[in-house]
Amino acid sequence: MQVQTYGMTTQNGTPGLFKRNPPIAGEADAIERAKNGDADAFSKLYALHKRRVYTLCLRMLGNVSEAEDMTQEAFLHLYRKLGSFRGESAFSTWLHRLTVNLVLMHLRKKGLQLVSLEETINPSEEDAPKRDFGSRDPHLAGSVDRVALERAVATLPPGYRLVFVLHDVEGFEHNEIADMLECSTGNSKSQLHKARLKLREILRQNEAVAKMEAAR
Amino acid sequence: MTEQNNPASTQPDELTVDQFLEQLPELFAKSSGERISENPQYAELLRANPTAAELVRDLEYIAEQARMLLQPENEIEPSDAVWSKIQSSLGNDDKKAN
Repeated sequence: MQVQTYGMTTQNGTPGLFKRNPPIAGEADAIERAKNGDADAFSKLYALHKRRVYTLCLRMLGNVSEAEDMTQEAFLHLYRKLGSFRGESAFSTWLHRLTVNLVLMHLRKKGLQLVSLEETINPSEEDAPKRDFGSRDPHLAGSVDRVALERAVATLPPGYRLVFVLHDVEGFEHNEIADMLECSTGNSKSQLHKARLKLREILRQNEAVAKMEAAR
Repeated sequence: MTEQNNPASTQPDELTVDQFLEQLPELFAKSSGERISENPQYAELLRANPTAAELVRDLEYIAEQARMLLQPENEIEPSDAVWSKIQSSLGNDDKKAN
């Protein structure tokens, strides 16, 4: 299975992604040993990166079962391709890219591969955010916790969710997302905006329901 | 579209609220994490349009909260079954190789 890799965008000479990834103690040694077939070393790499990889898959797919399958796929792919890791980027960055590409390939296989994602990424009218920008209800600031946001993200239409997770959570630039999703940069910006509008709508609805339940 | 009617060529302090809302995806993309709600160029427009101001603050808040999701404490543990399946697949690979 061939997985396409994409170049890294740099900002001020620093990789645009995973600036926050410090080297992990023992990782370099585990990589070298795993390259030589050391099962314990591969197990260590899994232990170090499983949460990051699984969380990324879960956010991109919004489904536990698929996220587990793709986590498995990512580490199997890692095992087979580890020899090609040359250390030109951080290992976590490399693994992260490999995972993103596998998930995108999986999504294309599920039905997005025949038509440009630019067309299929748009959700139905029903799923699109409303055109009115809301009445003067209390605004969201300070009222949304992590769990509420994660849940809301999981309910986004797939195209919105992908762009939102890749840009707002994972820190990819619009030009990188456009390359990955085979759409225009303008489309990526537009989808991100619609995703945030839709999230606002979902979060406000959830807040209203919670208030009604609390008032009972 | 004439130059006069093109929102992209309109100065921030001359924008109508509709033009502002239309430009929001691009404004957010250009803002590089800086808050549009705190940009003096849009202060007058947002003061005059509280609904638009509220929308901008909410969208900024959502983007800021999303960035926090990447922190390691927000990562989720996969079930033990994932590692078992990986080991099983690798074992099958080894058998085939031998």
